[in-house]
Amino acid sequence: MAEQELVTIEINGIELQVPKGEMIIESAKRIGVDIPFFCYHPRLGKEQAANCRMCLVEAGTKQPDGSVRMMPKPQTSCTLPASQGLVVFTDTVAIQKARRGILEFLLINHPLDCPICDRGGECPLQNNTLFYGPGVSRFVEEKRHLPKAFPISDYVVLDRERCIHCARCTRFSQEISGDAQLEFLKRGADTMVSTFQNTEFTSRFSGNTIELCPVGALTSRVYRFRARPWDMKSQKSICTRCSNGCNIWLDYRPNRLVRVLGRENEAVNEEWTCDRGKFGHEYISSDRRLLSPLVRRDNRFVTASWVEVYQLIASRIRQAVEERGAGAVGAIGGAHLSNEEAYLLQKLMRVAVGTNNIDHRLERNQVAGGDTLLARLGVPFTQTAIADIEKAKTIFIFGADLVDEQPIVFLRARKAWFRFGAKVIIAHPEPTETELRFDEPLVLRYRAGTETTLINGLSHLILQSGRAVTDGISLEELQASLSEYTPARVAQETGVAEDALREAANLLGEGTVILCAGRVRNHPEYAVLANALVNLTLLTGNGSRGNGGLNILLPEVNSHGAADMGVLPDLLPGYVPVNDREARERIERIWKASLPAEPGLSTQGMLEAAAEGKLQVLYVIGEDIAQKYHDPELAQRALENAGFVIVQDLFLTDTAQYADVVLPAASVAEKEGTFTNTERRVQRFWKAMNPPSPDVKPDLNIFAELAVYLGKPLPVFSAEQVMEEIGQVFPAYAECCYDQMPAEGVRWMPTLTDRGK
Amino acid sequence: MAELKVLFKDIDVPGIQTLEVYEQHGGYSALRKALGMTRQQVIDEVKASGLRGRGGAGFPAWIKWNGIPKDESQPHYVQCNADEGEPGTFKDRELMLRHPHQLIEGIIIAGYATLSKVGYIYIRGEYTEPARVMRRAIDEAYRAGYLGKNILGSGVDFDLYIHMGAGSYECGEESAMMSSIMGERGQPRLKFPHAPLPTIAGLWNCPTLINNVETLSCVPAIIRNGGAWYASMGTEKSTGTKIFSVSGHVNKPGNYEVEMGTPLMELLELAGGVKGKLKAVIPGGSSVPILPADKCDVNLDYESLQAAGTMLGSGGFMVLNDTVCIVKFMRRTAAFYAHESCGKCTPCREGTRWMVKIFDRILAGGGRMEDIDLLLDICDQIDGRSYCALGDAAAWPIRASIKHFRHEYEYFIKHGHSMVEAQAEHSVGGR
Ligand SMILES: Cc1cc2nc3c(=O)[nH]c(=O)nc-3n(C[C@H](O)[C@H](O)[C@H](O)COP(=O)(O)O)c2cc1C
Ligand code: SF4
Ligand code: SF4
Ligand code: SF4
Ligand code: FES
Repeated sequence: MAEQELVTIEINGIELQVPKGEMIIESAKRIGVDIPFFCYHPRLGKEQAANCRMCLVEAGTKQPDGSVRMMPKPQTSCTLPASQGLVVFTDTVAIQKARRGILEFLLINHPLDCPICDRGGECPLQNNTLFYGPGVSRFVEEKRHLPKAFPISDYVVLDRERCIHCARCTRFSQEISGDAQLEFLKRGADTMVSTFQNTEFTSRFSGNTIELCPVGALTSRVYRFRARPWDMKSQKSICTRCSNGCNIWLDYRPNRLVRVLGRENEAVNEEWTCDRGKFGHEYISSDRRLLSPLVRRDNRFVTASWVEVYQLIASRIRQAVEERGAGAVGAIGGAHLSNEEAYLLQKLMRVAVGTNNIDHRLERNQVAGGDTLLARLGVPFTQTAIADIEKAKTIFIFGADLVDEQPIVFLRARKAWFRFGAKVIIAHPEPTETELRFDEPLVLRYRAGTETTLINGLSHLILQSGRAVTDGISLEELQASLSEYTPARVAQETGVAEDALREAANLLGEGTVILCAGRVRNHPEYAVLANALVNLTLLTGNGSRGNGGLNILLPEVNSHGAADMGVLPDLLPGYVPVNDREARERIERIWKASLPAEPGLSTQGMLEAAAEGKLQVLYVIGEDIAQKYHDPELAQRALENAGFVIVQDLFLTDTAQYADVVLPAASVAEKEGTFTNTERRVQRFWKAMNPPSPDVKPDLNIFAELAVYLGKPLPVFSAEQVMEEIGQVFPAYAECCYDQMPAEGVRWMPTLTDRGK
Repeated sequence: MAELKVLFKDIDVPGIQTLEVYEQHGGYSALRKALGMTRQQVIDEVKASGLRGRGGAGFPAWIKWNGIPKDESQPHYVQCNADEGEPGTFKDRELMLRHPHQLIEGIIIAGYATLSKVGYIYIRGEYTEPARVMRRAIDEAYRAGYLGKNILGSGVDFDLYIHMGAGSYECGEESAMMSSIMGERGQPRLKFPHAPLPTIAGLWNCPTLINNVETLSCVPAIIRNGGAWYASMGTEKSTGTKIFSVSGHVNKPGNYEVEMGTPLMELLELAGGVKGKLKAVIPGGSSVPILPADKCDVNLDYESLQAAGTMLGSGGFMVLNDTVCIVKFMRRTAAFYAHESCGKCTPCREGTRWMVKIFDRILAGGGRMEDIDLLLDICDQIDGRSYCALGDAAAWPIRASIKHFRHEYEYFIKHGHSMVEAQAEHSVGGR
């Protein structure tokens, strides 16, 4: 990185060196000088800032003769850039007076309903008034009156009387989420925040505006009146609602989750959350949670003790293995388990049961985990770190409605464009919401089913242009194999105009980040398409070098971790093929057990077998396959016809209705562990609360105890200890020991495979 | 002394709005001359003229012209401020309505000097008639090859667009005008040193020259006759002539163009003298501090007015006789600024409305003596703390009115009614 130019400035008589152009409000922090503020926010552009006038300072510049020429008016430190010789005073009598004046102005129309305001106790307006405000107001007129508690969406309620017009929410919606849902109406003292014609606030990121709002003007309908900030506790956690792995705070009262707040992690979510994450953890404290194990008797569920169910399960598994072999037992699940749990689950199946019938995938593509990418790019699914998306020269969103499927990755992609000027290409058969969040992106509206043709057509154009890079591929061979993908033919087949194809090809090059999601993962000819995408990645120079890369983003919170942990029928932890004898034996030595050498059944295989009555025991962990399997009917038939069904979950799901035994599992808030997000970042989460009943257990405990009942104990004392073992089996995880893990988590690097980056 | 007409020299010529008549009176000869000069020569001529911005601030025009980068790596723009929202000001209206080609010629010359290919005239929304005249004149100029591609075969291109305002005074503030032209909410933008000057990063972040209608209308005469000629008029630091829009209690209200430095009392005479007894003058639009009658012995130029505690401003010259109740007058002024506050920054948004509420209470008979100092303190808290100069402009008149007419406020508060009106009733025998 280029050295940043430093300048010498003076704040309150203290000389310091800061990067040129740094905002003075930030420079002041360096020496512990507190400048109060409302509208300033380091992640929001300064163009619309400087409106609250709370951060005023007196400023001047040092003249060559050593004297200081003061600027005639006080300046807003949130927008004043540091320059050589700048002299700043933050606490003069004039500034103290100005601050009192600003706070008096802000309070004249403020309802001061702190006792019933959800922001009370953590309100910058309260705090700044306490420290910098006047003791009394001289305002004796009638205050402004507006409707209180005006709901603008299912999640957000707006109190315009409390608004201080700082424009944080409007700037967020214009600059960060890009949906521009919030804007000011009217002017002067009548100015008010509003959605378009008071329609619903439908942003996917509305929750962030609640946190940004420095007063109680935007508050959460979910959290409303649930707690005062001083009588709840907070625990660090990871959002479980998608694979991005956003860092969150779980705020809870003794045994009730009351709200979720974004937690800073520059590498992942900066400080944002999407609304699914922010409002989507209510399930944790739902009163429909399972509270004890259930056993089916006379077609009804009755509660049972753990000893009873363990004995029952163990006997049914033993019986199946004896009668039909270990292949008659299978387990589905893992994408919602922690790494430690996923690891232990597959170990349980492989060591204690003796089968490779284990899979975490519910989507259509069930070719061996990350097959093509791992072989050719050396990574299972994604090349680009989420934070590095910002550095992209071109963002190519391929077949994904990113804002819906991968909201936080979308925010980075938008930042790359909005802040850093990246070019944007969006290819999708239908209009997507994502397209609306960029100004005039290049849209390639291809016919569904022509994905591979489109990608090959683009590769062909790049080869023709002579810009193609040799990066582990032979360009001649590729040229030959792609020769028939002429622009004319590709345009004809895909329906994308030739001009648009050429324009897109011109934008693709070093620094192109390709972002794909569900449509690519579920493509009927996934392997062919993935190969085409890898070709494009390699010939644009984004294979082993460069800032770009190919990313097939994953669906669930721990899809990546489950694959890493070997919750796959053909791969052991660390993507070791079960039939690779040498590698398998290494793991056998660590586990002190012998492992089945033949690949097991995939999810699809297990369900087909079960549907035909060939699976004696089906163990489903944390997945509602009757609903969520890509072919739900097959899942339902499988559940009906399997000999014995065990379902382990938080709720009595549709899948659980088919179960013979239901095991109540703890939620993310009630246990600890790690998840691996879609960019391979391993991140810890911590236990906040106790489970809703003493009979609800973390999955880790259930697997460990089940192993005992199966007569093959897998001694486990803690998640931390499991992680240490994972590090031995899969050295890429060696850095993930709990006591070493940095706050940002560890993005593991596929050094083991030695196949590129 | 009489009027000295530079801008208004030909304004009474019948048909001067048409290209034909304008050309007969030397129209567009300045443009021809400028195109034969280098760009720097044009700027130097403006420098020699000493021309200062007529929009209110009096900033030397040539410094802005010269501040535009001399290369064409980015598009450059000329933004002509024709928003004329300042109460009491109606000179730009007349310049557009009656002498449109003079302005267009000035804008094209400015465009040539600053390497701009595009100009915008931002016309106040209420000025539909001047806008129509400008529209016709621009069309004529296009047809005659003064606008468009390759002007007069010189290889210079220049396009001129009219952008209508929508009724916001604040959009006359140059950076709010930039926002408005770019399709954003009409709110001001960061200023130097918080952001680059508009001459570096104005419209669409490109170099932009912003001048008032009157400023730009001066340019053809300056180029035709030379900067030195222009500078020979007026005072040393306030050169040339200035149009004052005289309104209020005078016998002949209207626009008067006089030499800079003309005594204020002479302008009053030109306008037919005061109706009744002079009480005060507001010489530069409602934003500038009021000048009581006993301080009106002053010359009309930037420096003299500043020394007298007020400002030349836009030249909106409002004359008040002794029938005017200062408290009611200031209530109206305060209401204007509260209504026009864009709402972006705290002091102006909240402070202006608060002051109106205080005035209303005083007018309703509910005033308290401490309200006077409260008003002054609110002015102090707005002035210099607000985001743009509208806040300052809301504070100055009120502060000056209290300074000079505090007794009227005290009377109103004490008696619950206006001193001036009470006296008037008394003098007619108390109806
Ligand atoms: C609130 C406010 C309103 C303004 N309105 C006008 C206006 O209507 N016309 C104008 O020429 N300048 C107006 N100005 C001044 C402009 O910001 C700017 O200084 C001027 O257009 C520059 O041109 P000049 O240098 O030729 O005077 C206004 C300024 C403020 C603060
Ligand atoms: S926003 Fe803050 S100051 Fe306002 S009512 Fe709520 S807690 Fe009180
Ligand atoms: S609603 Fe909140 S964030 Fe939005 S402008 Fe008002 S105070 Fe600021
Ligand atoms: S002073 Fe503030 S509120 Fe007033 S017009 Fe300027 S920016 Fe808007
Ligand atoms: S924090 Fe600087 S003006 Fe609001």
